[in-house]
Amino acid sequence: MKKQQSIGTKLIGTLAIPAIFAAVLFGLSAANGKQLFATSISVNYFVLYAAIVMITTMALSINLNSGRFDFSLGAMAVLSSVLSAKLSYSLLGGGSGSAIVMLLLCVVIGAALGLLSGLLYAALRIPPIITSLGVTLIYEGVTFTVTEGKYINTEVRNASMTAFSGTWIWPALIIVVVLALVWFLFDYTKFGYDYKALQHGQKVSVNTGIREVPNALVCYAICGALMGIVGFLSAVRSSTINGGSLNFGSIGIMFTAFLPMFIGGYIGRFSNDKLGYLIAALCMSLLNTTFAAFSNEISASMQSIINALLLVVFLIYLSNEGLLKTLFHRKKSA
Amino acid sequence: MAQTKLTKKNRLRELLVTLLPIAALLILFGVLCMVVSSRGYRLDMYLRIIFNEGVVLAVVATGAIFIYSLGSFDISLGASTLFSATIGVLVYNSTQSLPLMILTIFGVAVGCSLLSSVLASVFHIPVFVTTVAMMSVLSAVAAQIITTKGGALGGIGIPAAVVEPLDNLPFKLAVLAVFAVLCVFVFNFTKIGRRLKFLGSNPVCAKLSGIKVNVYAIIAFVMAGLGVGLGAFLTLVYTPSVTPTTAGSIGMNILVAIVFGGMPISGGSRSRIYAAIVGGFSYILLNNILKIVIDSGAGYGISQIVSAVFFLAVVYVTSMNYRTKLLPR
Repeated sequence: MKKQQSIGTKLIGTLAIPAIFAAVLFGLSAANGKQLFATSISVNYFVLYAAIVMITTMALSINLNSGRFDFSLGAMAVLSSVLSAKLSYSLLGGGSGSAIVMLLLCVVIGAALGLLSGLLYAALRIPPIITSLGVTLIYEGVTFTVTEGKYINTEVRNASMTAFSGTWIWPALIIVVVLALVWFLFDYTKFGYDYKALQHGQKVSVNTGIREVPNALVCYAICGALMGIVGFLSAVRSSTINGGSLNFGSIGIMFTAFLPMFIGGYIGRFSNDKLGYLIAALCMSLLNTTFAAFSNEISASMQSIINALLLVVFLIYLSNEGLLKTLFHRKKSA
Repeated sequence: MAQTKLTKKNRLRELLVTLLPIAALLILFGVLCMVVSSRGYRLDMYLRIIFNEGVVLAVVATGAIFIYSLGSFDISLGASTLFSATIGVLVYNSTQSLPLMILTIFGVAVGCSLLSSVLASVFHIPVFVTTVAMMSVLSAVAAQIITTKGGALGGIGIPAAVVEPLDNLPFKLAVLAVFAVLCVFVFNFTKIGRRLKFLGSNPVCAKLSGIKVNVYAIIAFVMAGLGVGLGAFLTLVYTPSVTPTTAGSIGMNILVAIVFGGMPISGGSRSRIYAAIVGGFSYILLNNILKIVIDSGAGYGISQIVSAVFFLAVVYVTSMNYRTKLLPR
C-alpha cells in the first residue's frame, strides 16, 4: 500500500524544483549584475511564455500519457492561428475586439482540427504516431496553401493584439481558466475517470463498458483547442505567424514541452500533475527570461543545448531515482 | 478444409501486402516518366535529382531499420547527419585529407549514435526523449559552427573538385548496394537480426530468454550510425557544402519512408531492410511527381497534402491484416 505523504513532504516535493530554479537563476543574474524583471514588458512576456508552455505541456501530456504520440500539435497551433487571424481580420478588419474574436476562433478551429485528427485515428485504426505524421503533413500543407508560404503580419498587428500583449493580466487569466477547466475535466468528471481507467488498463476498461473511441475523440478535441490557444498566444508574442513551415517544420513547437512535462509529472507525485505543469512552465519561463537577460552572452544555439542538457540530466535523475536513493541510504548506514 | 482455405487466403493477402510497396514504387516510376515526358522536361535530369535525394534517404533509413525493428525510433538522425557532415567539412578544411574526412564523418556519426544508445540503455532514459535531446544539441552545435565559420555565406563547404570524381551514379549505387547487402546479411542471416526482431516483437519474452537488451540496442544504434555516416558523406558528395538546414527533414522522412516501404513502425518480426530502400525512393518519387504536376508557389503545400493522403492510404492498406478491437497505441 502506498504510504501517505505528510503535508511537509508534499510542500517540499512541490516547491523544491521551482525554488532551485529561482535560486540558481536569480543568483546567476545578481552575480552578473543583471536584473531579470527590469521592466513591466519582461513581466508580461514571462507570464505570456509561461501560458504558452503550460498549455502546450497539457496538450502534449493528455495523449502521450495514454500512449498516443501526437506530432501534429504544432501544425494544429499554426493552422488554427492562421485561419483565425484571416477570419477575424475579414470580420473586424483589425478593429476593436479583434484579439478576443481571434482567440475564440482559435479555440473552435483548434478543437475542430483536433477532432478531425482523432476521427482519422479512430477510423483508420493505425498507430497514432503514424496518423499524426500524416495529419502534420496535411495541416502544414493547408497552412502553406492558405498563406502561400508567407508570414501573416497585417492580420495580427493591430491595437487589439498589442493591448493583449501589453499586459500580463490576459495571459494570467488564460492560465487560470485553462488550468481550472483541465483540472475539472480530468479530475472531476466521468470523462476524466474513464480517461484514467483507459490510461491504466485499456483492455479491462473497454471490457467493463467504457467507450474508448468517444473518450479518445474528446481528448483529441481538447488537445486541438489547447493548441489553438497556443497558436493565438504565439501570434501575440511574436506579432507574426510563420505560414511557410513544410516537411515537419512545425513539430519543434512541441519539443519545448518535454522538459516541463517531466518536471510537472514529478511535481504531480506530491500534489497534482496539472499544478505541476503550471509550476514547470513558470520555471521554463524564468529560464527563458534569464536567457533574454544574457542574450549577448548566450546564443540561441547555446540556449537549445542548455535546454536539452537540462532535459537529459533531469531524466537521468528521474529514471535512476530508486538507484540513487539506495546508494544514498547505503552510504548513510555505512 | 475450411482452415486450409483460410490460411491460403491469408497467405495470399500477406503476399499482396508485401508486394504492394514494390508495386507502388514501380507505378510511381512509370508515372514520373509519363509526367516528365508529357511536360517535355528532361527525364535524365529528373532521374538524377531523384536518385541523389533518394540515395541519402535510403541509406540513412536502411541503417535506421535496426533501431525501428526494436520498436524504438530515432528522430535525431537528420541532425546527426548534419553534425557529421559539418565536422567532416571542418576536418577536410584543416587537413586537406579526404580519407581523414570520411573517417571523421563515420566516427562522429557512430559516436553520436553510441551516445544516444548509452544514454538510453545505461541511464534508462526513454529512447525517444534521448533522441529529441540529441536532435536539439546536435543541430544547435552544427548551426553554431556553421554560422561562426561560414559568416555571411551562411554555410561551410569543401572544394567541389575534391568530391567531383565520386559524384556519379555507379559510385553511389555501389555504396547503396554494399551497405544494403551488409545490412541484409546482418539482419537476416545472423543472430543479431533475429534477436533484434525478437526484442521488437516481444521484449518481455526476449529478456526472459536471456537476450541482453542493452547490447542489442547499442548494436542497432551503431548500425544506424553507419547509415548516418554514409548519408552525411553522400550529402557532401552531391552538395559539397553544409548549411543549418542540410538534412533537416531526414529524421522525420525516415519514419515516412519506412512505413511507405511496408514495415510497421512497431518493428518486430515484420521488419524488412528493403522497406527503407523501397519506401525512401517511393517517397522522393511521389514528392517530385507532385512538384511537377502542381507547378505553382502554393503547389508545395498541395503536393504535401496529396503526399500525406497517399501515405495514410498506403499505411491503411498495408495494415489491414492487423486491425484490433481496441484503438492501437
